[in-house]
Amino acid sequence: MIPSGGRDTFVFPRWTNSLRPVLAAVLVLVPAYLVVLLAFGGSPRTTAIGYRPVQPVPFSHALHAGKLGIDCRYCHNTVEVAAHAALPPTQTCMNCHARIRTTSPKLLRVRESYATGLPIPWVRVHDLPDYVYFNHSAHVRQGVGCVECHGRVDTMDVVTQVHRLSMGWCLDCHRHPSQHLRPPDKVTVMDWVAPEDPVTYGRQLRQANHINPSTDCWTCHR
Amino acid sequence: MIPRPLVYGGILLAALALIPLALIARARVTTSSEPRIQLIRDMGRQPKFKTQSADPMFADGRAMRPEVAGTVARGERHANAAFWTGRDADGWVTAFPVAVNDALLRRGQERYDIFCAPCHGLAGYGDGPVAKRADALQEGTWTPPSSYHTDLVRQRPLGFIFNTITYGIRNMPAYGPQIPASDRWAIIAYVRALERSQDARIDDVPPELRRELR
Repeated sequence: MIPSGGRDTFVFPRWTNSLRPVLAAVLVLVPAYLVVLLAFGGSPRTTAIGYRPVQPVPFSHALHAGKLGIDCRYCHNTVEVAAHAALPPTQTCMNCHARIRTTSPKLLRVRESYATGLPIPWVRVHDLPDYVYFNHSAHVRQGVGCVECHGRVDTMDVVTQVHRLSMGWCLDCHRHPSQHLRPPDKVTVMDWVAPEDPVTYGRQLRQANHINPSTDCWTCHR
Repeated sequence: MIPRPLVYGGILLAALALIPLALIARARVTTSSEPRIQLIRDMGRQPKFKTQSADPMFADGRAMRPEVAGTVARGERHANAAFWTGRDADGWVTAFPVAVNDALLRRGQERYDIFCAPCHGLAGYGDGPVAKRADALQEGTWTPPSSYHTDLVRQRPLGFIFNTITYGIRNMPAYGPQIPASDRWAIIAYVRALERSQDARIDDVPPELRRELR
């Protein structure tokens, strides 16, 4: 029974009764909303894909690797023997640009770097966390093509990250590598297609080259 | 009945709650020049220097330091002059200082296609895509790359070609820093094969295979 007190007695008005189903809905919807927000917003598909930093020199892979067809390894020449696929020194740019487009303002910073010996501050696009140990040579020499992780760089004017490069993404391939394999001498061919079903073809390559990627923690976290 | 202001407030909140979702959906289909936001950093960015990273402590900003002058790294003693310079006591070497076999030629072909073919062309006529582009751009200071299929180049001693790859010649830059010495010899072996392929007579073909050429 509601006490019939004086003015200072607090009584919920009658309409608050109809809030109860609304409140129940809010208690379910708000946590669900937060879960969706975190999963959707924090997913590497949202945060990692589409990273496209502005580079100090407007270098176009579409022109050099695409139209001119220069092999990836002409510039990234350590990729087969080292963990790190080296960014080329300015000397490599000047191999050609000492004679070609020698007065282009787009190449001013390249000429400046060549004259002063100070490196061009290229911005790294594909950057794994520091607790991950990734080795380019181990992948390239076993026949994982550049395109598998970096996408069609030969069509990009500005390099953009197109894959998640997250742990789940790495493990997908380490667990099911077959369709990502090709003959090791075709790794830099960006538009390579398997001559038959990629899974069957990749499985033959796996057997022939004894490719058994590890999924142990310490393979990448050491 | 629930008071009107409360109802409108609730609807407004629900509408506002859609904005973050819309922003996320937009971020998934557009590119960004800013790196990803890491709320939980863990040890993703550690205070250590990795290959080719920057270090403001040095004047040139590089964490990796060049070799100290006058020092020799392991495996870089270059004791075998013929192998490392293309010269011996009698001048340019004329015999390969490495074993010439099928593996060397295949390696040479692969390396040639990477480093040489952009200018010299896949068959060595000096018609690679970079040379063609320099022509198309009418670059005044451009000297066209030599074709290998002239008597002059065919008669060059092996050591001379090694020296040319290592230090460059005329227009051609030095490829010594880019191509290891063993690969330079592999490339030379392949270039010699290219030269023979374009300068062959019918007598060079085994009689049983001649029919296929007709």
